[in-house]
This record gives sequence, C-alpha cells and structure tokens, in this order.
Amino acid sequence: MTGTKQLGNFTPEDAPEYGDVLQCMRCGFCLPTCPTFSLTGRERSSPRGRVALARAVSEGKLEFNQAMKEEAYFCLDCRACTTACPSGVKAGEVMEICRAQAHQQQPLPKWQSVFRNFILQKMLPSPDLLETSMLPARLYQKLGIQWLVRNSKILKLAPAWIDKAEGMIPEMHQPLRQQIPQFSPATTEKRGTVAFFLGCVMTLMYAEVSRQTVRVLNHQGYDVITPKEQKCCGAPHLTEGDRETTRTLATHNLDLFMKLDVDAIVTDCAGCGSALKEYEEILAERQDHNRLEHFRHKIKDISEFLVEVGIRTEGLKPVNKVVTYHEPCHLCHAQGITKQPREAIQSIPGIELREMDESSWCCGSAATFSLKFTEESQKILDRKLNNVKKTEADVLITANPGCHLQLAWGLRQAEMPQPVLHLSELLGEATPD
Amino acid sequence: MISEHITAKLVQLLTKENVITEQEDLLVLGYDSTPGLHAMPDIVVYPVSSEQVRDIMIIARDEGIAITPRGSGTGLSGGSIPIQGGIVICLNKLNKILEIDEENLTATCQAGVVTLDLFNAVAEKGLFYPPDPGSQKISTMGGNVMEDAGGLRGLKYGVTRDYVMALKCVLPDGSLLSTGGKSVKDVAGYAFKDLLVGSEGTLGIITEITVKLIPPPQDKKTFLTYFDDIRTAGEAVSKIIAAKIIPSTMEIMDKATINCVEDYVSIGLPREMAALLLIEVDGHPAVVAEEAIAVNKILEQVGAAEIHIAKDAEEAVSLAEARRTALSALARVCPTTLLEDATVPRSLLPETFTLIEKLAEKYHLRVGTFGHAGDGNLHPTVLCDERDKDEMRRAHAFYDELYEQVLEWGGTVSGEHGIGIAKKDYLARQIGAGGVAVMRRVKNSFDPQGILNPGKIFESKQES
Repeated sequence: MTGTKQLGNFTPEDAPEYGDVLQCMRCGFCLPTCPTFSLTGRERSSPRGRVALARAVSEGKLEFNQAMKEEAYFCLDCRACTTACPSGVKAGEVMEICRAQAHQQQPLPKWQSVFRNFILQKMLPSPDLLETSMLPARLYQKLGIQWLVRNSKILKLAPAWIDKAEGMIPEMHQPLRQQIPQFSPATTEKRGTVAFFLGCVMTLMYAEVSRQTVRVLNHQGYDVITPKEQKCCGAPHLTEGDRETTRTLATHNLDLFMKLDVDAIVTDCAGCGSALKEYEEILAERQDHNRLEHFRHKIKDISEFLVEVGIRTEGLKPVNKVVTYHEPCHLCHAQGITKQPREAIQSIPGIELREMDESSWCCGSAATFSLKFTEESQKILDRKLNNVKKTEADVLITANPGCHLQLAWGLRQAEMPQPVLHLSELLGEATPD
Repeated sequence: MISEHITAKLVQLLTKENVITEQEDLLVLGYDSTPGLHAMPDIVVYPVSSEQVRDIMIIARDEGIAITPRGSGTGLSGGSIPIQGGIVICLNKLNKILEIDEENLTATCQAGVVTLDLFNAVAEKGLFYPPDPGSQKISTMGGNVMEDAGGLRGLKYGVTRDYVMALKCVLPDGSLLSTGGKSVKDVAGYAFKDLLVGSEGTLGIITEITVKLIPPPQDKKTFLTYFDDIRTAGEAVSKIIAAKIIPSTMEIMDKATINCVEDYVSIGLPREMAALLLIEVDGHPAVVAEEAIAVNKILEQVGAAEIHIAKDAEEAVSLAEARRTALSALARVCPTTLLEDATVPRSLLPETFTLIEKLAEKYHLRVGTFGHAGDGNLHPTVLCDERDKDEMRRAHAFYDELYEQVLEWGGTVSGEHGIGIAKKDYLARQIGAGGVAVMRRVKNSFDPQGILNPGKIFESKQES
C-alpha cells in the first residue's frame, strides 16, 4: 500500500493506494459492525465515512487536517469492518497508514515527539532496555507502593488515563525472555519442531502465559526453539504510524527466524501474529516475494497451530468449568481465526464452552486506545462485560495480552467474579506435569 | 450557504450535538450507495422527535432552504443526496419501535428504525415482517417506505408498499399529515399513503410508520440449483410459475457474481457454473413438501446441472445472506460498480439474459448479473473504473440500449431502487412528457416552493 508518487493531499511516503479507497462502494455493510460508529452515530467515525475522508484527501478535496488525524486515531483498528466488507475494503489498514501520514503532516510538539521516538525507536526495539524499564514497576509492586497507591485512591486526582494505566498492571514476574531456555524439548513422543515468537507484552506482563504455551507445545510433542535475539514484532509502531521502524524490526525478525529449520513459528499473542503475517505487505518492496510468502505461511497462532496438527487429547486432565470466549480482534478479524480457539477449548475434557453474544465485538483495548480515549473505551468495555455477565460462565478466555489487560481490569472494576485466562493457561491447566 | 442566524435557530431547537456544521462531517453525509454521486450539504440536523422534524421543516419553509431527508444512506439511485445543498435531515435518531399490536397484527415504529431490528422485534412475538431488502441490516424503515424497497421475498410476499398501513409525515408547508390506520379496509378519500410510498422523499418527511404483520410460514425448503446456461435458469423460473407454484424466493446469480460472492463467503459455490438459482418454498409443511417435489421435477425437466437442498434452516439463511452480499461483492473486482434495476415480465427472462450478453459484448464491458428472477427484476451490473472515461461512456450506452428494449417489452426502468438522480431520463422515456407533467403537478400541490428533496425523479420546472 505504499505509493511512490504524490496522491492528492497525501505525502508520497506511506500513503494509501488510490485503488484501496476507491474500492468502497458505500453500501454501509460495515456500519453495524463498527464500535466507534455504534458509540457516536457519527458517519465520519464509521469505516465508510473514514474511507470517504481518505478518498477526499487523495482527490485533493480535503486537506490532511486535524479531523483526518483524529479519525485515524479514533479508529480502533479492530478490523471488524474488514470481516464485514463484501467488497474487500480494508478501512482499518487505510487508517493505520493515515496515522503515518499524520506524523508526517502534523508533527507533534517537540517534547512529545522526543518521547514518542524514544519509546518507538529506542526502547521497544531493544529487549534489554524494555526489560530494565519494567524494573520500577516490579519494585513498585514488591515494595507495597502499589497497595498504598490503590488504597489511598490518590490517582483519582490525576488524569483518568494514569489511574487506569496503574490499575491495569497485572502482577508482574521476571521477564520470561531472560529465563526461558532457547531449546525446550518435547515431553511426549516427538512430532516436530517449532519456533516460538515471544511478544513483548507477553514476556513482560504475562510470563506465566507464555511459559504455559511452551509447556503445552512440549506436551503436544514439539521441540520449541525460542531465539533470544528476537525483537518486538513492530505492531506498536504500525499503530503509532511509525512504519519505518516496523520495517527495520520486521527485517531483523525475518532474517532470524528464516535461519531456523522449523515446522512453524508459533505465537500466543494475536497482535504479534497479525503483524507477523503482515510482513508480507510491509516488506513487499524490500524482500523477495517467495521468502516473505514462506515466512507468512509459517506464522501460526497457538490455537491455529494446535488444531491444524490435531490436539492429542489422551492424558489431558479434565477441567470442570464453564468458560466463555472473547475473540481478540487481531485474531478473528485480522487473521480470520474463529473456529480454532473454540475447537482447542472444547478438546479439553470436562469443559463447557458457553458462547457470549457479540463475542467478536472489540473490548475497547485496541493498543493505546484504552488510555487515549478512556471514556469511549469504558463504554465499549461495558458492552462486553454485560455480554460476559449474561453467560454466567466461571472463566473468561481470551488470546491476546491487550484484551487480557483490559478485560481483567474491567472485571475487577465491575466486581465480577470471573478470572481472565489466556487459552494457553486453560490448556496448561489440562496438561499433566 | 446557511446564514448564521439559521444555524443559531437550529442549534436552539436541537442543541449543538444534533446540528452538524463541520466540513468533514458534511463531506460524508452527501453520498449514498450510488456510484459517482456526491454533493455537499450546508448543514445536517438530527431531530430526536417528530415535533422537531416539523419545526425544522418550518424553518426551511420560512427561509426557502432546500431540505433533503436521509436515513442510513444505502440508497441506489441518489435519493438522499442534497444536490442543491441546504439542510440534510437525518432521521437515524428517530429509532424507536413504538408498538407491536398482536391483536391487529401491526407494528408501529419511527422512521429511523433499522429494517432488520423491526424484523427481529416482531419475530420475537412470533410474527413476520416480510420485506427484506439486501441492505436490511443497515437500511431504515423510512428509507424503505420512501423508495418502496423490495427484497428477496417479493415474489410471494410483495414489497414494502404491500405492508404499509399508516404513515405520519410532515409536509413541506410544515403541516402534519396522518394517513391510513390499522383498519384492514379504508377507502376514505384519496389514498395519500399509497402516493407517499415510493415518493423518494419528495412529498413529505415520514416520521412514523405502521406496517402490517403476518404469521410466519411454518416450514420452508431451500433449493440451490446450478445451470450450464443462464437461459435455462430463466426457463426454470417461468416453468415453476406456470405450474402454479409461487416460491417465496427465486434469486439468480450469473457466473461473475457467483465468483465474487464465493471470494467473500467461501461456502463452496460452483465457480465454473453459468448461473445459480436460489429457490425457497414456504408455508404449511404439507404444501411445502408437495411444492418441493414439483419444483424438483421441473428443475430436472429443464436440465439443471445440479440440484441441492439446504440441509437445515441455518444453511438456508447462510445462502440468503450470501445472496444479499452480491452487489458489494462484485465491487471486489473493480473500483466502480454501475448497477441497474431493469425489470421485465418474467416470461421474458431468457431473452433478457441473451440481450445483456449481446450488449456486454458489443460495448466490451464486464457485466455481472444477479437479481430477483422470480420478479423479473434483474441487476445487470457493469464492472468498471470511473477513471476510465471511455469505459464509462460505453457503460452508459449499454444501459441506454438495454432500457430501450426493456421498455419495448413492457418492462420498467426501476423495479425497486427508485429514480432519484440517476434515472430521470429513463423515467421520462417510460412515462412520457405527459406522465412527467402530472407528477410535477402532484409535486407542486405538496411542495409549491420546491424545497423538499429538489431535483429528484424528474427535472424541476426551473431546470427543464
């Protein structure tokens, strides 16, 4: 989707393709699926409206102005409209590209841009820096400051997003990347070898989940290779409009993983999986097409992989619980994976999967959306929690750290009893030692 | 341009939240689903009550400003596009279902209620509202009534018009008109309700609608039939009707449409077949069983390539859903989809398919055809690129020639999409100068100032 010549009021670098915006025939099938349109009823905050704005910019009828920037960021990038669109329009991707335009055309104030560049270009690409940066958070919990802060309600005085961000931090452990062995052998009859892509949020905040992912894979008969040199997948950079850093990270990961002789590259983070599968487009102009396609076909979400090879159910321990499943947008809409997680859940003896209404409706987390638009995010979350409540399930299952953080926080705030588990944790519970 | 004092008046009436003046918002409220059409409104308002609709109309009347009603913008003839600017009045916030009357079998709702929401609400009470336009998940009841929307069930159950029992609307002079009621029979005076249905928002703005409901069919059977030749499919349609069977649905898709829809839904439609028919018979289980046997026999006789029967209700619904995406799915393969709405007496379907094929070849165009075969209502869709001027010229020549023949056969230029902006010329050809003159007189008696949805259906006097 990268144009080379100037298109209307877009700058040439990282601009939408004209054909991609022209593709929309404005039938409106996307409207009832869009959480932000549902929230506001405002056409410009709908996929159809956003694509129309992008088209107006590309036809020179509209400047790339503040409103365009607002819509690029107000879009959750949940891709529900992509699933709903019979014409194949990718409004979410167009908005993602418009975020890159926003940074070119409407630079941030100096201090903000220094901060942004530090996070995106220095910290996220460096696992070591990233892990060190989490040390204060761990100390904050260990030394009991968190307890003090939460009980004193002092953060009610701060902007809403700070209070929420603090509230979302899960109980943190040592980052997994430093501890996980580079090679972890199959614990039952061997079926093959896979590489594990360990996402940043997973290693930092959900170390226990990814530990279970590896354990489940081992028990399913796979040797797991987790290369220590892997870096961030580049998804945060895409959502923040820094496509160039994504390309750098993508190239690094591509080279690293293509050197390995593995059956698949597995991830337990829907956001990472979706970004890794998009390397094909992101690096289209810089890499050999066959190599990218090969890489693309190796990337598998954990549930996608397990269902594809067939889950060995012999020896699994029964889990006598009623669970409901929230579909991460980046799994169901961005990757089209809807059946596999359900099949994986139902492979566990004793489990009852009770479907919630609107299971593929966004939870309002959407990368930094939940902190940038705390009020709107809350309304989207409330809708989700209400659907969870109606199921009366014991446990809420999901498969993406962004959703996990948001849902766990929401359930706690609403004083609802359900714990949130990643699908891998549930599978881990059923997997014998 | 709207002066500041008018904006202030509207804000005072509706609050700031419901008055839209920002350029970016206006830009996206000046289109519908018709390709190539767009116009900027000067201001957009969202009334939340019928009284507000009247008060807005009075402001438009007093100031002589054009005012164009809009629902979800899914129209296919440009009916809600404000070609003279002015006020666009969006009725989406008038979205309450007011009553479901189980004794009189009626439902009353506001104009902005989404069609499928009404369908679901009455279904919960064990009742059935049959009109189901392709856009039912998005389209509003007000828009359906104004365009007299059809749908997949038209053949047996009729179209929106056949279900409208009463309307409340605001006329361009600000007066209120209530027409029709819950009585099954009503011959008191002129049937204004019938005039308003299908008037494309040119005579009044509907605020409330009462529709007739019926008990749902107890049983149904759905056939998916493939053909090597699209004409054979046409023949099957005529033969089934001639056998005195009225299926609730007889939908057709040609090869191009099958492939685009399959690209989107991936349910295993046959990519190599020339056409498919989706046929549904419904009613009492005994009748359904009998009709299904008869339909099957006819399909075999005409030489259908394959006959499948949906295994359950779920599969039947997924097939109908797939069919509903036909138009949008065709848009996958090209930037612009020019869609038409030609309708012929159904005995002429095979000839119409031949004509479409011949003309597509003559003008070097890619055409995908789908539609309501049982109604003789086809949507030949030219798959093109609006940037290619020559192709667009050829596309228009294609339709000109097609419509000439359709009219000669006693058909119509619009089965269910309306005339709007796009087909004013064709309408004039169909009903003649005399017909247009009468329509103009009707329009004048409702809207002497010419402020309500100007420039639609026929040229207004000033333009002609």
